[in-house]
Amino acid sequence: MRTAHRRSFVLLAATAATTTLAGCATGAADAGTHPTSAVDAATTPQEAAPDASGTDGAQADAPAVYADGTYTATGSYKSPGGQEDVTVTLTLADGAVTAVEVTPEATDPTSLVYQTRFASGVAEQVVGRALDDVDVDKVSGSSLTSTGFMAALEEIAAGAAG
Amino acid sequence: MPRAETAFEAIGTGWRIDTPEPLTDATLERVLAVTEAYDLVWSRFRTDSVVARIARDGGTHTLPAHATDLLDLYDVLDARTAGAMTPLVGAGLERLGYDAAYRLQPSGPPLPAPRGVVTRTGSTVTAARPVLLDVGAAGKGQLVDLVASELRACGVGEYVVDAGGDMVHRGPDAVRVGLQVPGDATRVLGVVELRDAALCGSAVDRRAWGDGLHHVLDARTGLPTRDVVATWVVAGSAMVADGLATALFLADPDVLQGVAEHTYVQLHADGHARYALGLPGEVFS
Repeated sequence: MRTAHRRSFVLLAATAATTTLAGCATGAADAGTHPTSAVDAATTPQEAAPDASGTDGAQADAPAVYADGTYTATGSYKSPGGQEDVTVTLTLADGAVTAVEVTPEATDPTSLVYQTRFASGVAEQVVGRALDDVDVDKVSGSSLTSTGFMAALEEIAAGAAG
Repeated sequence: MPRAETAFEAIGTGWRIDTPEPLTDATLERVLAVTEAYDLVWSRFRTDSVVARIARDGGTHTLPAHATDLLDLYDVLDARTAGAMTPLVGAGLERLGYDAAYRLQPSGPPLPAPRGVVTRTGSTVTAARPVLLDVGAAGKGQLVDLVASELRACGVGEYVVDAGGDMVHRGPDAVRVGLQVPGDATRVLGVVELRDAALCGSAVDRRAWGDGLHHVLDARTGLPTRDVVATWVVAGSAMVADGLATALFLADPDVLQGVAEHTYVQLHADGHARYALGLPGEVFS
């Protein structure tokens, strides 16, 4: 039961984020408040859900079970620039949300910027390219680390090998 | 940018500063003084640091002004990650073997971070009992910012300050930064065009030791995280980028969106990546 609860929270959170995305984009005049309000809305269901007693609306009443699959929905909202759409794709596997993809479809450039800020892409399988084949000035990741740490790590590796 | 390169070692990491003109000795001295002062407050690997004193005696300590920004960020990320991220993971890291002696052997079962031990007003912290703080999740980023700020104070307006892959850029020409494949320094999985912004990354391979042990802990359990293997964040400041890069090991990107304006890449153990479409760059797939 506990697991089922958690799954539904995740879905709720995702739904809330989507709803708020549409909602706060309407108030496009104040760009600065967008991210905060969306996240507050996204977090609230997660916090509210554990003791949800039905006061939070039908979705929080009971942990619903969702069939696995990919769900896509397009929502419309009015922005100062006119009607805008945003498409959300959710992937459920084993009852849990494994991917959320928000596709910005705004035609108004301002709305597109706001939608894009929230949108995430999913690369199914990242493919590394040889450093020599990519034109870069610097790298970020595992290039350097504490010298003392690395020395200790080598010592352990040597010990393990011996 | 015509390049002059200054390299040095500080807080256990190799640093590189690229500037149009070589740094003067006076400027470099001031930069090194900034890093030394930071280390003297936050290092849990030296016995004379403020953090070491708090670990020994607890009590009330007034830290430098920068501590307010750093600990404010930690408070926000603590809330967003539902308690998974806190500077109170010091003892948990030591327990797993990430200690001053680099023992790298667990000395007991995982240790969840204590809660409610430290209270704070601005940069004044009070530890009700001895407690080991670790600001490794955002501290290096903040030091990158402080070094950059010192450069500007010294009249240096264009630079890349790079502390082992955590960096901030300022100037008209973007730098192209490759995102390294965890565990393979010869390959990159994406490129970021960095201009007037900071990029920080975190990967579990760089500070990993046997059997799934590494330096990103879930404070609630004291256990290393599992699903995410590397993250990168582009943000206005390196402190925020660094903190969010760690938070992305512990929380869904959507939950972190409102903390500060940023874009990100989150690489998972199964090889798939999630990233902000607004990323100033590309993820290869």
